[in-house]
Amino acid sequence: MEKKSYVKPTIVRHSIGVMNKYGRPPATVPMSRLAGFSVKELVGQYGSPLYVLEVDQLRQQYRNLFRAFSTRYPATRVAYSYKTNYLKAICSILHSEGAWAEVVSGFEYDIARNLEMPGDKIIFNGPYKTREELTRAFTEGAMVNLDNYDEIQVCEGLADDLGKKLPVGVRVNMDLNNPPWHKFGFNIEAGHAYEAVKRIQTGGKLDVRGLHIHVGTYVDDVNIYAAAARGLVSFYTYIKEQLGVKLEYWDMGGGYASHNTLNWAWQSAEYTCPTVDQYAEVICPILLNGPFGSGDAPKLFIEPGRALVDEPISMITTVVAQKRLPGGKRGVIVDAGMNVLSSVQWYNYNFQTVQDSGVTVEDTILYGGLCMNIDVLRQSAALPPVRRGEHLVIPHVGAYNLSQSWQFIYLRPAVIAVDDGKIHVIKARETRDYVQQMEQVPEDFQTYRSESRK
Amino acid sequence: MSEIFSSELTMSKNGFLFDHGSGLTYTLNTTGQLIFNLLESGKKSTQILEKLMTEFDVTEDTARKDLDDFYRQLKELGLIDQ
Repeated sequence: MEKKSYVKPTIVRHSIGVMNKYGRPPATVPMSRLAGFSVKELVGQYGSPLYVLEVDQLRQQYRNLFRAFSTRYPATRVAYSYKTNYLKAICSILHSEGAWAEVVSGFEYDIARNLEMPGDKIIFNGPYKTREELTRAFTEGAMVNLDNYDEIQVCEGLADDLGKKLPVGVRVNMDLNNPPWHKFGFNIEAGHAYEAVKRIQTGGKLDVRGLHIHVGTYVDDVNIYAAAARGLVSFYTYIKEQLGVKLEYWDMGGGYASHNTLNWAWQSAEYTCPTVDQYAEVICPILLNGPFGSGDAPKLFIEPGRALVDEPISMITTVVAQKRLPGGKRGVIVDAGMNVLSSVQWYNYNFQTVQDSGVTVEDTILYGGLCMNIDVLRQSAALPPVRRGEHLVIPHVGAYNLSQSWQFIYLRPAVIAVDDGKIHVIKARETRDYVQQMEQVPEDFQTYRSESRK
Repeated sequence: MSEIFSSELTMSKNGFLFDHGSGLTYTLNTTGQLIFNLLESGKKSTQILEKLMTEFDVTEDTARKDLDDFYRQLKELGLIDQ
C-alpha cells in the first residue's frame, strides 16, 4: 500500500488568525515559485539566503509612478533615491526608464557618475556634503539643495573660487508630522527658511532656484503631502513677492509607502498603503495653483526610493531549526539575520511558505540565524508547520535592507535579477577574501604563528 | 511519558477540538488528529511512532522529533498530564 504524504502534527488554540474588523487572516498558500522559477532550484543554484529582483516589476513600479505624477503635472521628473538601494544594476534599470539620480553623499554621487549619469541629472541632497564633493557637483552642473548655514558659507566660498554665481536649492521643513522632521533644512513656520533665502539672495553669490522638502519616511497619510504642497506654494508666493525669487523647480522629496505593514500598525498595508495616484492626486493640483503662468511652471521633482524598489525584491530563506519556547509558543530560526533584513525594525514582514504544509497555522516567533538575542525577524506570525531545510519567501524587501546591511558572523547573500525568463547575478555572494581584503596583520603581530608551532 | 487526557475533550471528525472544562477550542491537522485519537485510546509513544511510520511517508528521525514537539505543545496547552 502506498503511504500517505506526511505533514508535521499541529494543534492550534483558536485565538489568532481569524477574520476580524481589521482584516482577514494571512494567507498560507504556498509560494513554490518565484519570478517563474522554482524556489528550491534557485536556492540550489545561488545559495540561501538569496535576494531575488523581478526586473519587470521594477520597471512597472517606475512607469506607474511616473504616469501618476506626469499626467497631473506634466513637468515632472523622477529622481531615484539612491540610498534606498544603490546596487548598480538597479540604478541602471531605473536610469534606463528615465529616472534621474538623487544622491546624499559623495560616494553615491560617484556611483551615479560611474554609471554615466550626467551631472545635470543628479540631485545632491543631505546634511553632510564636503567642499570637494560640492565643487565637483557645481562644476558638473548638478542640482544642489542646501541644508544649513555652514553649507551656504562653503558654497559662497566656492562661488568665489569658481568665479560665478551658483544656482542652489534650499531644503525647507514644516511642522507636518509627529515627531517633526526638523533635522533637515530650514523651518518655514519659525521663519528660518525665509531668513535663509533672504540671506542667500542678499549675499549675491548664490541664486535660489529651487525649494526642496522631504516630509518623512513611509508616510502613508497623503494629507501630509497635501499640507507640504500648500506650504511650498505659500512660501514660494511670499519669497517671490518679497525677494523676487523665481523658482526653476520644486522638489517634493520621497517617503512614499510600500506594501509592507509597519510593526505598530493594526491594519495590513494591503488596506493602508496609498496608491501612487492618491499621492499624485493631492500633490499636483495644489502645486499647479502656484504663482506662475502657463509657460513658466517650475519643474516638479519627486524622489521615490521605497515606493520603487521595495516590492520588486524578495528574499528566500531556509529554516535551520525550530524549538518550543516556555509558554508553548513555537520558535523558528532561519538562515537570514537582521544584518541583511534591517527593516525588521519597522516592518512585520510576511513569511510565505514554499512547501504545502496544510492550512493550520500556529503563532510563531521568527528568529534570524545570528548568535545574538536581539536577532528577531518577527515577534508573531501565523505560520503553518515548517521543517529544517524548508524555505520561506519574504516578499517586498528591496528598500534599505541591502544598502543598510552589515557583514556580521556570516557572509552576505547574493542578489539575482530575473529578467524576461533569464537569471543574472547582480551581486555575488560575499567571500572571506572579499570581507578581509582591506585588512592587514602587521608582521610584529604574526609571531604567535611560529611560536605556536614550537 | 504518561498521557492522560482530560475526559472533557471532544474532537469532531475534521479536527475541531472543544474543551468543555475551559471553553477553549483548538484545531488539529490530520496528523495531529491521528495522534490525538491514538493517545485517547491509550496507545503508548512507541506504538504511536510505529503507526506514523506505517501510515505515512516519513523517516523515524523526523517522526520522533515531531512527536516530541507535539507532546510538548499538548503539555504547554494543558491537554495532557505529565
